[in-house]
Amino acid sequence: MSLVASVGRATIRQVEYVGLLAIQFWHGLRLSLRVNPFAGRRLRWKRALEQMAEIGVRSLPVLCVVSGATGMIMALQSGAELRKFGAMDAIINLVGTSMTRELGPLIAAIVVIGRSGSAISAEVATMVVTEEVDALRAMALDPLDFVLVPKYLAMLVTMPCVTVMGVFSGILAGGVFAHFTLDITLLMYLQRTVEILLMRDILSGLVKALVFGSIIVHVGCLEGFLVTGGPEGVGRSTTSAVVKSIFLVILADLLCTAFFYFFWR
Amino acid sequence: MSEATQTAPEQRRPHETGGEPLISVRGLGVRYGDRKVLEDVDLDIYKGETMVILGPSGCGKSTLLRHLEGLAKPSVGTVHVSGTDIGTASNDELLRVRRLMGVSFQSAAMFNSMTVGDNVALPLREHTDLAESTILLMTKMKLQQVGLSGVEDLYPTQLSGGMRKRASLARALALDPEILFFDEPSAGLDPIIAAGIDELILRLKEAFRMTIIVVTHEMESAFRIADRMCMLDQGTVLAVGTSEEILTHTHPRIRQFVQRIPDRHDESAHSYITGF
Ligand SMILES: Nc1ncnc2c1ncn2[C@@H]1O[C@H](COP(=O)(O)OP(=O)(O)OP(=O)(O)O)[C@@H](O)[C@H]1O
Ligand SMILES: [Mg+2]
Repeated sequence: MSLVASVGRATIRQVEYVGLLAIQFWHGLRLSLRVNPFAGRRLRWKRALEQMAEIGVRSLPVLCVVSGATGMIMALQSGAELRKFGAMDAIINLVGTSMTRELGPLIAAIVVIGRSGSAISAEVATMVVTEEVDALRAMALDPLDFVLVPKYLAMLVTMPCVTVMGVFSGILAGGVFAHFTLDITLLMYLQRTVEILLMRDILSGLVKALVFGSIIVHVGCLEGFLVTGGPEGVGRSTTSAVVKSIFLVILADLLCTAFFYFFWR
Repeated sequence: MSEATQTAPEQRRPHETGGEPLISVRGLGVRYGDRKVLEDVDLDIYKGETMVILGPSGCGKSTLLRHLEGLAKPSVGTVHVSGTDIGTASNDELLRVRRLMGVSFQSAAMFNSMTVGDNVALPLREHTDLAESTILLMTKMKLQQVGLSGVEDLYPTQLSGGMRKRASLARALALDPEILFFDEPSAGLDPIIAAGIDELILRLKEAFRMTIIVVTHEMESAFRIADRMCMLDQGTVLAVGTSEEILTHTHPRIRQFVQRIPDRHDESAHSYITGF
């Protein structure tokens, strides 16, 4: 009985969480669309630009190294198998398509979760604990509008950008491998990759980047807003933001991939 | 407990003969888990009066303030502010009520990611269409009003506790609110500055007919600024009345508070008082 009860309670909590996330997402989207860069509200864009530097520019070095390493690993691993069939050329297809469609966005998401997702939830949770969020509400300002919107705008702009950079460094690393094993120049490798890639591959990668970016910002902020207890709660909400973001990003990846597989061949 | 209900507040006429109260609390109850923090609180605050809320540490003063500010919805009882029922108000109505208020929190609650100047300018930038030069000028004025100058470009963490407190008052005053909430204005201030804050509060009342709700432990300052006082203890209202009425009140707990008598140890099981 107690088992049933606790499973039930846990289920309700999760459903409630998803519900909260959906509500926040809806409001966040509505508020973000209302921000007009050409009229008033300069503050939002100033903050969004700061966030872009934070989320995008500063996470690029790590992201490029990690994506490059992954591209290289993939080339090595598949090279070992493909050599048996004398189909080494296929490395170009393999690295190109899987980086663009799948690994690029995923790795970008995971690096950004580690850098920015945790920072977002820590920042928001600290604002809750120090009553800054209450102060915003008392000033008739919407905390979502003020805290989430700049981050969300920044994420929607930067996430596709860093994803493209990550994908490019992954493909480049594959090219370095190909250069030494396949007897083709880097330029030829890149030309082949461009020929192979379909618009569909590139677009599906970018759609994923947007979806993952949304998840990271919204989960980070929600965990921050839901912080309980004093300063020690901040650490807890950060951990939980990272865990939940990774979980939801991978789940969303599966859904997106399945969608593209069935509905957009 | 029974004593508390016996001497329960006989609601006094407001200081000035006003009709409808600006803020009206009826039967407010608040609990965290199974712990009662406020119980059956009734309170009327009229336009233009300065209401001082007194009470030992942890008796629920800040909690009461949060409900008056509309930051928390009452689960039991009702809170009306300027004719709006906080408990059932729509978002737009809440925003309208909040535009009337300036709030200075107990913990100052300055935005740590912005400079002090930007903090004070924030309400102006968000809620008005004033030119940037005007905003900077007003920010400077508001900061000067609370005895701070030349701190615009510092971050809140670079200020002392008392300076932060005053900066948060400047921010609360930025839009010249109709209702000012001030949680523990003199905590962490030296006597000279604390006296200056008292002066400022009196001036705001005179000049703008501002309704001011102050939580304080400083009896001297309380008697100086208050039109009426509300004495809380363990989540219930012991008495509401003018300074003289509180000063001459016969309730033992109020006598103890006003005359600064410590708890005796055999009563300490009941005691919340640690702050003095
Ligand atoms: N978020 C919360 N969760 C649980 N209990 C709380 C919470 N906030 C306040 N309390 C409890 O409510 C009681 C009243 O708190 P409140 O902050 O209103 O006291 P106070 O009168 O302002 O005290 P002080 O003079 O020290 O500021 C306290 O005993 C506190 O433990
Ligand atoms: Mg308090």
